[in-house]
Formats: sequence, structure tokens, C-alpha cells
Amino acid sequence: MVFSSLVFTFAFLPVTVILYYSLGKRFKNIVLLTASLFFYAWGEPVYVLLMCGSIMLNYCIGVLIGKDDAGRQKKKLYLIISLVLNLGCLAYFKYLGMIVGTIASIGGWNLNAAAPALPIGISFYTFQILSYVIDVYRGEIRSQKSLILCALYISMFPQLVAGPIVNYTDVESQLPDREQTINNFISGMRRFLGGLAKKVLLANNIGLLWSEVKAMPAAEISVFMAWAGIIAFSLQIYFDFSGYSDMAIGLGKMFGFRFKENFRYPYVSQSISEFWRRWHISLGSWFKEYVYIPLGGNRVGKWKLIRNLFLVWFLTGLWHGANWNFVLWGLYFGTLILAEKLFLQKSMTRWPKVVRHIYLLLFVVIGWVFFEFTNLPDMISFLRAMFGVGGNALIETRSIVKLKAYAALYIVCIIAASPWPKELALLFKRIHCNIYRGAVTVYYCVLMFFFTAYMVGSTYNPFIYFRF
Amino acid sequence: MRINNKKSCAIFKNIVSMFPFLFILAMLILHLALPDKTFSKGERRYLEQWPDIYIENVLNGSYKTSIESYFSDQFPFRSFWVHIYENSNQVLFYLY
Repeated sequence: MVFSSLVFTFAFLPVTVILYYSLGKRFKNIVLLTASLFFYAWGEPVYVLLMCGSIMLNYCIGVLIGKDDAGRQKKKLYLIISLVLNLGCLAYFKYLGMIVGTIASIGGWNLNAAAPALPIGISFYTFQILSYVIDVYRGEIRSQKSLILCALYISMFPQLVAGPIVNYTDVESQLPDREQTINNFISGMRRFLGGLAKKVLLANNIGLLWSEVKAMPAAEISVFMAWAGIIAFSLQIYFDFSGYSDMAIGLGKMFGFRFKENFRYPYVSQSISEFWRRWHISLGSWFKEYVYIPLGGNRVGKWKLIRNLFLVWFLTGLWHGANWNFVLWGLYFGTLILAEKLFLQKSMTRWPKVVRHIYLLLFVVIGWVFFEFTNLPDMISFLRAMFGVGGNALIETRSIVKLKAYAALYIVCIIAASPWPKELALLFKRIHCNIYRGAVTVYYCVLMFFFTAYMVGSTYNPFIYFRF
Repeated sequence: MRINNKKSCAIFKNIVSMFPFLFILAMLILHLALPDKTFSKGERRYLEQWPDIYIENVLNGSYKTSIESYFSDQFPFRSFWVHIYENSNQVLFYLY
């Protein structure tokens, strides 16, 4: 089920909320779990069994590892079993096609493996499960004795299909019992609507510009148009994904959960490392916690540091999709971060702020080319168009006409991607006045009104991050 | 008396803030209460009806698709929302 669909917003959500708040305290988690499994089964009527199996298995392993009298060797064995099964499952469903395809093209064989359909959200929930099992193994948390709570942690519908990746330690105390106030519910609902606005009003519309540019033959794209297009894509993917995270955080809040933030205005960053501390924070901190630091992190020699960084960024790239362009995209960022760590960091502090910002935006935007084009020749010809190598026109009347239509939206998107609107709102909030509160209330009612029109008017509306 | 005022003021504020959610509820109730339509004159087509359940169409996902189109076809005041959508698109188109 997609959050921006009528069935979700006008049937699933209100029914779940009513059941959740009208049945007694004892049933709250059962309602939420049933709703979550139903939510997953809606999109994956078969793979929901895979998820249930995965829950049962990891619940048992968690309990076995968490036993006080279990020996060290035994704990390690259980951990390895869990790692092999979870990662094996991920590899089979997500990467089998890629692996077979690569082997076939290297060896020149004609292999045909029917790649299985990708279960929605498997990359996200596998990582959640691993964070739980590893933390139990490390002795940082006690294992979850209740199967319902363990299942709820893994399958909770707000963050099930597209994150954020919630670490078990962050929600451990919230799982059995949560305090809920009406103000919390309202602010969760508003967060949800705000995320929906990012997705439906901004991402979908600016995305139209990019799909127009992408559909043009590379030789005909002017340099100006190529940049306008890929910047539009940069904005689209930000609003799409951060909008989804906002909706997830908001929905969680409506049921009393507090999830960590997943995005903190990444495009205002002034270095690549800072960008990755602000973009998809939950994934970055997962890799840091469970891959980078166990390998030694920063406290190792130069060569080991290089190895660690490349390994982490190889995996980060690979996580985003089963295709080599994602690996390239990951390694591209790995290289940049390494360069920053080894020699740029010192001189960068002396650069003017504007230069640092332009540097960041330039490299991130170029990075999205690697991300978006799965096919290498297309990627290269688009890059050539961006830098005018292939004899493309610098600017032409056709592209000006086309871009003029998007100018207003472009400006709105750039402002919305910056922290200014929030700062302005906070400024107004400090002046205690009813006009501000009234305006906010009206704003969300208007948003709700237009979403309904949009959702009824336009029927199909998929999320970009559903590929993962 | 004053405390009472404050209290009722807070309740009023909460209710007003909850409007979007109350609106969702109202739409759901209307959807359940209003009879399903079979034909749309404006769109000149038959509207989707509540689909029959078979294990087969649940498993291959076609049941889900039918429910989704049933939901958007039978949404309360559908033509009004489509009208708003199209007009607001036109307005935006002129603005740009």
C-alpha cells in the first residue's frame, strides 16, 4: 500500500487509528501488528509468509543469544546462522539477477536465471533485524521475550517499506507501552500531511521536468537543459524520499512512537561528509555502527582506513539497488570522502562558504547522474551533454520555453529544500499569537483538501524508493 | 468560570486542529453510507464495483488493484474532486 493512495489514507489509516484508540490498552500492540501484517500482505500477498518466517526465526535466535547461560561459542554460532540466513535471503531476492548477469557477461555465457520478484522493503527490514540481533549478541540490549513486540518492531507499517531504518535500541522502551497525548497525535498528523505535500505537490511535479529531459536523445540536449534536468532530479529525489520519511515519522507519532530524523536539509551542507550526515541518516549510521566501526573505523593506519571506507561505500552503493551503476555511485562518494579526509579537510576550512557550498552541490548533482542511469553508455552520453563535450548547444530557445514553464516551481522547490521556511515558522511561533496558530490550522486543512483532489484526480502515483 | 472558559477553549482548539483527520473519517463514513454508482456520465464509462474474492486473484495481486480502482471510482463526490483537480492544474499551468 502506498501512503499517497486513497485506500491507505481514507480506509486503512482511519480504521487502524479507531481500532487502536478504542480497544483497550492491552490490544494496542496487537492492533498495530495485525494492521502492519495486513499492510504488507496488501502489496505482497505471498511474501508476507517470508516476512513471518523471518520474524519467527530471528525472534528465536534473539532469545537463544540472549540467554544468560549460553556460552560464547554458542552465541557466535547463532549470530552467524542469523547473518547467513538474513543476508542470504537479501542476496537471493535482490542480487541474484545481478550476480548471474555479471557472471554471464564476463564469461560470455548465455545464462538465464529467472530472478525472483523483489519483496517490498526487504532491504529495510533486513537491516532492522540485523541491528537487533547484533545488539543482542553484543550484550547491549536484552532480547525481546514477547513475540508480538519483536514482530511489531520488524514489521511496523510506518517504516516497513521505505524506512527510516529504526534501530532496536531507539524504540526498545517504547514498544511495550507508549504515552500518547492529543497534541502528539495532531503533530504526527501534520507531519504526515507535510510529507505528503512534499511527495505529491513538489516531487511529482518537478519530476515531470526530469522525465522530459531524460526522454530526449542525448545529442539534442543543450548544456543548460541537461543541468536544469539533473538538478530537477536532485530536487525530486530529495522531496520524494524525505517526504516519505516525514510521513513515516508522522504516522509513528500518531501511534505514540518517536523515530529519529532521517533528513536534515542535506542540500545546505558544505562538504560531502556533512551531506552524508544529513542525507538518509538512518542508513549512514547503520553502516557506521555495524560495518565501519567494527572494522576499526578511523583509528587504523592509512591503508586500512582506505580499505574500510571503500568497503563501506561499496556496500552503501550496492544497498541502493542491484545494479553496477549504484556501486559506481557509492564508490564515487567513497573517493570524495576519502579525498576530504586525507587532504581536503584542512584547506577547505579556509575556502569561503559559498565556494564550499558550490563544491558540494556540484559533486552531489553529478553523483545523481550515476544514480539515475542504470545503463553505462546512456550515463556517459548524458555526462558529455552536461559538459558540452559532444558538441551540444549551450542554450537554445526550445529549452528556455520549456524551462520557463517550470521556473516558479523550481524556485518553490529550492526554497522548500532549505531550512528557511522552518526558521520563519519558528520565528512566528515565538510571537505568541493566535493568528499564527489559526494560519497553521487552515494551512493543513487546505493541504488535506487539495490532496484529496489530487489523489482522486490522479490515480497512479508510485514512490521512487520502492525499487529498494 | 474562567477556568471553564480556558478548558472549553482548549477543547475547541483541539477539535479544529483535528479537522483533517475528521475529514478523513467523514469521507470514509460517507463512502460506506452512500450507494455505489454503476455509471459515470461525465467520464462515459462503467465504474468499478466491489470485486469478488477468489484465492487466485488475491495471490496474483489483481484483487488489490480492483479494490484500489473501486475506491477511487466510488469515492464520495468524485466528480467534484476531479473538477477541483483539473481546474487547479489549469490555474497552475497559467501561472507558470
